[in-house]
Amino acid sequence: MEEVKNNTGQNLGIAALITAVITFVLAVIPCIGLIAIIPGIIAIVLASVGLSQAARNASPRGVLLAGLIIAIVASLISFSQIFVAGKIAQKAEKWPNSIQNIINDVQDNVTKELEDANVSIKIESNGDKVEINTNSNKKDQVKKLEDLEGGKIQESDSIQKSDSVQINVIVKKKK
Amino acid sequence: MTVGIRNEPYLIINIFFAGVILLVFAYSGFFSPDKDNYPVTCVHEQLTGLPCVSCGLSHSYSLIVRGRIDEAYQWNRYGMRIFLFFAAQLVLRVAFSIFYLKYPDTRKQLIIVDYIGSGIVFIVSFWPFMMSIITGIFYK
Repeated sequence: MEEVKNNTGQNLGIAALITAVITFVLAVIPCIGLIAIIPGIIAIVLASVGLSQAARNASPRGVLLAGLIIAIVASLISFSQIFVAGKIAQKAEKWPNSIQNIINDVQDNVTKELEDANVSIKIESNGDKVEINTNSNKKDQVKKLEDLEGGKIQESDSIQKSDSVQINVIVKKKK
Repeated sequence: MTVGIRNEPYLIINIFFAGVILLVFAYSGFFSPDKDNYPVTCVHEQLTGLPCVSCGLSHSYSLIVRGRIDEAYQWNRYGMRIFLFFAAQLVLRVAFSIFYLKYPDTRKQLIIVDYIGSGIVFIVSFWPFMMSIITGIFYK
């Protein structure tokens, strides 16, 4: 007489293994890793039910155990991402200060670069022409202050007093 | 000799995985990177406000499916390697299933080679994502 193979719980085992592998793939993708905990729990439940059925009927448990182990590991990976996200969110509170410092540094550098710059803006519309020339040349400002004050001044004074910007406006009207 | 698919867990698993991979490709093809109408958003970004290493993966897949490889790299630099993993797995599921049916004597070895090989390729493909999780856990 041919021996009949007892496959109780095998279908559950296959379902658990498939769900567990899909969970594992989802769990290692940070964007959707947290969602993977749902199929992970489903896979654990399927494998557990299958294992209990297999234990009662003494059927093979290889697929069921594989499904259960992969599902547990995948769920742990998925669950660990809650801690990762929490840690990052906690650290992120300190980052705005660092970013503000970097912005200030960049601002200072740009201001320093533009200190001796000459800017010329020309606007032309229907023949009317407006030309704006700005000159924030520090040396010119120092010279101007010297002329105004009638004597030599310190470099530090000129920096404080050179906040003003010289603007020449030339307006050419169409005849 | 005829093989009933119902009695072959390996074949059932292969068919399911091939179906899931085809669904991933269909998702990539259906949703447009130009319209930006993807239903799945980054949970990590929603929680922390910061983008993660896998952000832009859906865009990357959709662009690869449409043949816009350069743009795909710009959206996610690891998109191509993961796309290739899924594409290779689709081919391997079909190939291993054919071998499984054709050579019944070597089934056990075939399954072992398949699982070990696929596991290694999976680790290589998803390594940057795994590293980001590991470094995130041990980040002080």
